[in-house]
Amino acid sequence: MALRDDKDSDEQERRLVAYAPRIYGLLVRMVGNRDTAEDLTQETLLRAFRAFETYRPEGKFRAWLFRIARNAARDWLRRRPLEPALGLDADWPERAPASSPPQSWPEERLLHGERASKVEAALKRLPAPDREVLLLRYYGELAFNDIAKVTGEPLGTVLARAHRALKKMAELVPKEES
Amino acid sequence: MTRCPKPEMWVLYAAGELADRPRRALATHLESCDACRREVRDLARGLEAMESLEREPVLRTEMLDTLERRLRVAAANRPTRPRVVTLVARYGWAAAAAAVLVAALVLNLPKPTVPAALPGNHQAESLQEVAAAIELLRVADNGATPLPPQNLFPAGRQNELDLLLELDDAGLLLDYLMSQDKLQG
Repeated sequence: MALRDDKDSDEQERRLVAYAPRIYGLLVRMVGNRDTAEDLTQETLLRAFRAFETYRPEGKFRAWLFRIARNAARDWLRRRPLEPALGLDADWPERAPASSPPQSWPEERLLHGERASKVEAALKRLPAPDREVLLLRYYGELAFNDIAKVTGEPLGTVLARAHRALKKMAELVPKEES
Repeated sequence: MTRCPKPEMWVLYAAGELADRPRRALATHLESCDACRREVRDLARGLEAMESLEREPVLRTEMLDTLERRLRVAAANRPTRPRVVTLVARYGWAAAAAAVLVAALVLNLPKPTVPAALPGNHQAESLQEVAAAIELLRVADNGATPLPPQNLFPAGRQNELDLLLELDDAGLLLDYLMSQDKLQG
């Protein structure tokens, strides 16, 4: 009869670990540094695990989790305002995936990789708050209404950011050949 | 041609986040407006570009191992406390809501007549109350309908219970019932 219910803990762990790749995808593009993003991913999931009791089942789990991740990145960025990684020129994952050597990729995969690089480059040119909206939508699969709750901004502001960012992406990334 | 909607509306349209009615209204506008059609096309291209990114990038095995180890340590370090308190912490809001509902029903029902106290009756009464409060928590946990209110709180305790119910704090209510049990035991 203890608070630490092993079955609950296992289930919570599994649920959180399943989100690790997406959380990392968001964080690496927010902080621009792989090592920091890995640390912050762990921090986010540990914070969420410890705070699980405060999570209300009627809320949206992903919005709750991505808010913790976003706040972790914001905290880190505030604490380290002069870090060179802020330039976001650091190693983003799709550029050099360590697990699959580019020579062995099929042509389709190479084309996909090339386009992904252009998307990465375009994302880096967006103002951080605009980029954040697109990243929360993509990795968190959050509706704009939920993104507004995560960032604490009015929905109109979030939509204006999304509008600017998406137009810029369309301008910078050439249309995919079909 | 109708007046063009705000550009932000097209974000919701392109992202498929509009309800059926406004979506149909915007679709009708699009049929007759080249500028808005270009707008939607650009936004859709922006959204499509994002799809080129790996949504679930592969993480280093070492990083995942470390994460799982840290989570196991955090799980092992979680404080222990009685299950009933855990339920109060987790579902206290539901228990409090159920208790308020029960109180409202009790106040509207004719008060049951309580027989004169017999030696030993208080102890049994208090235990019943604790059992009833725990049952309330179980009910809240399962989302089931609460028990009939008249079985929960004997009329003699109504004033104190009313005050606690007004405070809307299930934890306090349970503490009170348990302390009553101890005092009279």
